[in-house]
Amino acid sequence: MVDEGKNVGVQFIAPKTSPEILLEMKGVTFGYEREPILYGVHVQVRKGEMVGLLGPNGSGKTTLLRLVSGVLHPQQGKVVLEGRDLQDWGRRSIAQRVAVVPQALHMPFAFTVEQMVSLGRTPYINLLGSRNRLDAIIVEDAMHAAGITPLAGRIFNELSGGERQLVMVAMALAQQPALLLLDEPTAHLDIKYQIEILELVQRLNRQRGMTVIAAMHDLNLAARYFPRLLLFQRGIVADAGPVEVLEPHLLKRVYGIDVQVGILRGAEHLSVLPPGSGLETDEREQEVQPQALVMAGGGSGELLMRALADAHIPFIAGPLNIGDSDYALALRLASAVIAEQPYAPISPATLEQLRKSLAKVSLLILCPMPIGPGNLALLQEALSAAHHEIKVLLLAAPDPSGRVNEQFNADTSYTNDELLQQTGIAKRDYTNGEGLRLVRDLLQTGAVVVGSVTEAVEAAKRSAILASSNP
Amino acid sequence: MSGREPVEVGGCPSKIMKLATQKTQLKQLRGGVRALPAPLLLLALSCILLIVILLAVSFGSTPIPISNITKILLNGTGLFHFARHWDSTAELIVWQVRMPVVISAALVGAALSVAGVLFQGMLRNPLADPYLIGTSSGAALGAAIAFVLPFDTLYGSFFPLTPLLAFVGAMVTVMFVYAIARVGGQTPVVTLLLAGVVINAVLVAFQTLILTLSSHVQFTFQALFNWLSGGVAVTDWSPIIMVACIILVGIVFSLMLSNVLDAFGLGEEGAAHLGLHVERYKLLIVVVGSLLTAAAVSISGLIGFVGLVMPHAMRLLLGPRHRLLLPASALGGAIFLTLADLLARVVIAPAVLPVGVLTALVGAPFFLFLLRNSKRAYRW
Repeated sequence: MVDEGKNVGVQFIAPKTSPEILLEMKGVTFGYEREPILYGVHVQVRKGEMVGLLGPNGSGKTTLLRLVSGVLHPQQGKVVLEGRDLQDWGRRSIAQRVAVVPQALHMPFAFTVEQMVSLGRTPYINLLGSRNRLDAIIVEDAMHAAGITPLAGRIFNELSGGERQLVMVAMALAQQPALLLLDEPTAHLDIKYQIEILELVQRLNRQRGMTVIAAMHDLNLAARYFPRLLLFQRGIVADAGPVEVLEPHLLKRVYGIDVQVGILRGAEHLSVLPPGSGLETDEREQEVQPQALVMAGGGSGELLMRALADAHIPFIAGPLNIGDSDYALALRLASAVIAEQPYAPISPATLEQLRKSLAKVSLLILCPMPIGPGNLALLQEALSAAHHEIKVLLLAAPDPSGRVNEQFNADTSYTNDELLQQTGIAKRDYTNGEGLRLVRDLLQTGAVVVGSVTEAVEAAKRSAILASSNP
Repeated sequence: MSGREPVEVGGCPSKIMKLATQKTQLKQLRGGVRALPAPLLLLALSCILLIVILLAVSFGSTPIPISNITKILLNGTGLFHFARHWDSTAELIVWQVRMPVVISAALVGAALSVAGVLFQGMLRNPLADPYLIGTSSGAALGAAIAFVLPFDTLYGSFFPLTPLLAFVGAMVTVMFVYAIARVGGQTPVVTLLLAGVVINAVLVAFQTLILTLSSHVQFTFQALFNWLSGGVAVTDWSPIIMVACIILVGIVFSLMLSNVLDAFGLGEEGAAHLGLHVERYKLLIVVVGSLLTAAAVSISGLIGFVGLVMPHAMRLLLGPRHRLLLPASALGGAIFLTLADLLARVVIAPAVLPVGVLTALVGAPFFLFLLRNSKRAYRW
């Protein structure tokens, strides 16, 4: 299958001298109490990068950070730090390489700032040993770097939120980490400290070459400080620079709100603004009247969805399981996505949603996805849609070389059996012939087999013109 | 590895100079907060403890001058041979009557204070005390069983039954609470506290049940009441030596945990981020804290307040770092309980007050005074 980076259509532009990979997540899946939160996360972070994690609340940003810090272990896949599985590192060794700045910290006892920062040396001292001269210098240096030396003797609990956050960063610095993780470092802070914290982190990144991964809830600050952004929706939806990730359409899919993105006069960075008024939103909604519905899965819809988007044909995608590579792509490209729980069969509620969506479109395109008991219902829905005067296109399966079958010629007339052969349903049917039977029925109701994506897009264009001339 | 920031020591001497000046400024800044350096402070506390012990031995129905006590004790070491110009009963009183009690009181005070520091540090809650997770009710149930059993000692006369059963009861209860609170390889602090509260309630009910059902209750009730209100009543050295061994080992272990306890202040996840195996250390802290508490309870009954207040008082005076807090609390607890025991013996002499009553009566106002006069807001 296509690799994840390519799937989402954008690639991280590697620096000229590509330094070694510090952190790698390979197919990491994790969930709490049977409710999955992250699926198949593949990501590589090189030394010296500064990465921002974006996503709505509960999208798995914090979970990702906890997986990287080794507090949680992935249920599938693995996290690799400096070329070694995180679970093979000892806790101490991880703490000497990865430091975490938590979102907020409650300290029940009256530790002074200096005492707090020197706690960062814990991974380096043994049970009996006390802190030596070197430790003291490192602590002083960390406080100096964070600009909190004047606060050294103050009680941590009596500081303001912003000052506390600076202390937490200094404490993380005292760990001398290669990788600094920050969990929403600017949450609950006033604007002065938001900037101060992020300037500090940027300085550490640029001057000390510290790799930074930070969960960010403020899109504007993320755009300003992070050259690479990862957008989360239970998995990685986009992984690129701010220009590509902070794209209004994509943000609407992920955050569920219309936003405007642009460069304000005099500013150097992208800004994300909430919608001006409700009226405007309604107009935009009407503007994108979807014309086709694409059923895909497992990467089978990738080429088609890209082609439809390039041709500016609005379409609905789904139902797709969250975490499916087609799902991540559909979030970017489709005007609406019907989502189903990960790895779950298509539920009645989702089918109801599908029927409503089918009522809006005149064309249904079935991609050559594998058919199993879980999504067999999709073919049944397609069949009933065909009975309700919706044009059904069956995209032919690509031949083993990966290209769409080019010998297939739409002008020649084929028997139904030959057409059936073209759809490749026999090879991707895991339902003991039930799927095969449904595809045959579809062909009998007049479903058309298209040999290539181009052909499918042409058909979609024709049907769009037909729909507009015949309302 | 290459990405890690090397300490900037070599290249930049001016920076070190700058740091050094900052350091001295810092020291000056905090000069007011901490007048005495740590070793001196511990030495001072040790001296006070020694004086208090001598005082405690000297007071009583027959006062013995401190100089005589010193000589008797030094003779006892076998290294000194002072001429005996005192009554031979004085020697008997010192060695067989007062010293066991005074030493027990000091040990119990130290153990309870250190256990209090351990539990407060681990649970991140200044309200925690050593009895919180089941020690007290377990020990009380053990003692109640010992009181209603028809025999007094186990293993000949070597070990009295009450302390033994109290110790066993306390340890079994704590381990039971810990096992109950353990969910999926983790022991959440809140679950631990709640399990402790529930088990406490159940065991108190059992204790009442046993006392109600046993026939010779009238006979033993007063004795049990005295035990429960707390009072050091030992006359034999053998249990004291055993208990002393447990307590000393426990305190040494606690001192080794001081860095861990500091890190626990950040919360379990924060401690894990600093490279600690949180669950392992949590179990270790519970075991050490409970051993200390159970050992103390076995010879003193339930003495409240020391384990709660002494860590607080020391924290207000010396700050929260456990490297200093633990030994200071041990010494402070020993001083406090020795004094309390002394007062309990002399206030309404010849009758003896339960020490538990005195610790609360003396400790509470002292603690409130500290609380009100502390410049550091004691917020939680």
